[in-house]
Amino acid sequence: MNTSVENVPDLCESQEDCCKKFVDRIIKTNREIFIMLSLLEKQMCGYDIIKEIFSRCDVFLSQGTVYPILYTLEEEGMLHAEYSKGDMRSKKYSLTPRGREAAEKDVEDFAKALEQVSFLVKR
Amino acid sequence: MQKNAINGLDEILFVEIPEGSVILVTGAEGTLKSGLAFSMMANHVAANDEHALYVTLEQNSESHLRNMNSLGIKKGSNLHIFDYRDMRYEWMNSELDLIKMTEEVIDSYKDKYEDLTLFALDSLNALYSISEHDNMRNIIYDFFSHLRDKGLISFLIMESDRSSISGQFSQFHQTEHYLADGTIELGMIEGKGGVKRYIQILKMRATKHAMEKHQLTIDENGISIRGPIY
Repeated sequence: MNTSVENVPDLCESQEDCCKKFVDRIIKTNREIFIMLSLLEKQMCGYDIIKEIFSRCDVFLSQGTVYPILYTLEEEGMLHAEYSKGDMRSKKYSLTPRGREAAEKDVEDFAKALEQVSFLVKR
Repeated sequence: MQKNAINGLDEILFVEIPEGSVILVTGAEGTLKSGLAFSMMANHVAANDEHALYVTLEQNSESHLRNMNSLGIKKGSNLHIFDYRDMRYEWMNSELDLIKMTEEVIDSYKDKYEDLTLFALDSLNALYSISEHDNMRNIIYDFFSHLRDKGLISFLIMESDRSSISGQFSQFHQTEHYLADGTIELGMIEGKGGVKRYIQILKMRATKHAMEKHQLTIDENGISIRGPIY
């Protein structure tokens, strides 16, 4: 499965107001997957990740819910963090090989789970 | 929390601190407030295979860890440190409600680690200095309630001197003392043998404890509590 961010449906265009609250809840509850999904493409800082998810999904993940995940994923060896050259304050994150493998599997499982839920509620 | 979380703690704490307790760790600068809280947390999670979260607003995590290492305190992998350096820099043009953020940070760690049992904030003074709220009393009441609802034993570090005449804490901090379940005071006292550090439990709801000041020492093995200072 290609887990590129480009393949994620553009929720901003497709979702309607009535389903927004569910999309919002799903993304907030599973924010770790969306954070790792963002990092599959390129290295980013916390600010970039929040902006990226907002522009793609129309969901604002607050800073207090994103930075702890970045810190714990770094502790677990899923993310590598480095400060930008010439700017010791901007910390950019990228997936480690183990993190990439886990992210790709989680994204695939998550997509399957959503399909399953979709099937269950429509039958 | 176990009453032997640091060497000699059972000299002043006779039973375990109940979960959901909010405890102020107060004292003047240089009295080992951060070291005491960090040391108790590190030892407790190492002995019980639980998780703890230390939020520092005063220093970044590297600087805090350097200080703790210099005191002989080892962190361990289950003690997580969160600092606001990256967030504050990257969002410098936005207004961040750091009290709300701190609640979210706790919730995030609690989501990740169900067995997160201890929390520390270093310090309440720093949180106040960068938070702008009209009704701080209500905000603090809600913040304390949040900590209790999560079932955490929380150590809130607060630089605060008592008046040597009245024995009262400054009016500015009386709300916290009233709302907290416990107050541990650290200080320095000058006697014949020179200056000694002390620890005194002023209050600890639902917990039997000593009232006397006990000597607090630090050596290459970390922090220890000795006998009564007088």
